[in-house]
Amino acid sequence: MSQDTQNPGIGSVPYDADAVRGSAPLGSGAAGMDRILKRETHTSRAVVSVMAAALVMAVCGYALLETAVRAIGQPPWLVDPQTAAERVVALPAGIGPLLLVAIGAVTAMAGLFFFLNAVLPGRRARHLLPDRRAAVVVDDEVIAAALARRARLAANVTQGQVMVVVSRNRVMVSVRPTSGVPLSPDAVLEAVRHELQEMGPWPMPEVRIQVATAGVVGA
Amino acid sequence: MNNTPRVLNRILIGILGIMLLAIGVLLVLLASVPAVGVWWHEWAGGVLNFWLDLFERTQFPRRQGSWLWLVICFVLVVVLGLMVAWIAQQGRGRTSLLVAEEDPGDVPGNVGIGGGVAEQTIRAALADRPDLAGVTVVAYEIKGEPALKIRVEPRQGVAPHALAAEVSSLVEALDAVIGKRTPVLIHIGSGTRSRFGRAERVR
Repeated sequence: MSQDTQNPGIGSVPYDADAVRGSAPLGSGAAGMDRILKRETHTSRAVVSVMAAALVMAVCGYALLETAVRAIGQPPWLVDPQTAAERVVALPAGIGPLLLVAIGAVTAMAGLFFFLNAVLPGRRARHLLPDRRAAVVVDDEVIAAALARRARLAANVTQGQVMVVVSRNRVMVSVRPTSGVPLSPDAVLEAVRHELQEMGPWPMPEVRIQVATAGVVGA
Repeated sequence: MNNTPRVLNRILIGILGIMLLAIGVLLVLLASVPAVGVWWHEWAGGVLNFWLDLFERTQFPRRQGSWLWLVICFVLVVVLGLMVAWIAQQGRGRTSLLVAEEDPGDVPGNVGIGGGVAEQTIRAALADRPDLAGVTVVAYEIKGEPALKIRVEPRQGVAPHALAAEVSSLVEALDAVIGKRTPVLIHIGSGTRSRFGRAERVR
């Protein structure tokens, strides 16, 4: 059981991206800055691309070996391409059905992984900050650490008693009060909201606080 | 911020994903639904016969064997080359020059200011701060124009907006030294973090 206080006020303020970027008169490359920010807040899929390329290269490399061996009339290394094709046509005969299902499932999962990586927006856990000179991108972890520090000072508890989770549209502050010491959730919430408003990340998340009913003894 | 070809990445990964997904689903269906097996024998047998026929018709004039094998070899080599080229495209776009302009004065020649200037000055300015764990400055080329990326790693609990304002004032000082406003991106990040979670949690 925990007490839950919601405060939709801060998140409902329409915060425009252009207002943040427009307020910063950037240098000669201002036109490219929007593109840079877009690229910084989305993953480039470079790692997945290298994985995909390596996979295709491994398959093609093996096929090339067997084909080349066949082309110069030497005995095959593992399997002759023609025999392999005949075996594939003969499926599902020649292989246990369970094994076939397992291979199919693994292949489908790999395919799903690549497909979802290509289709999903691939947002990184980052927010933009307004600045008059430069474009600023902050990892959510850094924001969470700063808010956790603020909440800890406001609640007057130790480091282990506050946990902050920052996602794109929500900041979740969890506080476990010290046993016997009263804690005002509104004061903590106000401190975190003030800090967040001063920070001004875009998109502006909504703050929620959760105060555990069970306190920490001897903290 | 680098010039990784993102659209190409998405397209190629998507194509590979759809192909693998189709093959996997086909294999599972082959093992579980007998009707699919019948259809597969018919369709794939036809394809195989077409290829065998093609190999028959592409024999070398004098000796045994088909030259189609060499063609397949060549195609595979081309695919391998394309994959190597694709990997080589990832993460490119770094540049060493921050400013490269013709000197308007009497002396003929160009003026070039290396990205190392920005890196050294900013690193030196931030060097003895206890609240920072690391600073990296890299110059990238965005659409033919140099831009700076300053990556700052603060320790836990540092307010990012205050840090950003301080780094940004350093950048303004750098502008005055170099005499040109380059686009600057300040990235306030954390060190080793998990890549897969969207929500970042900190005690």
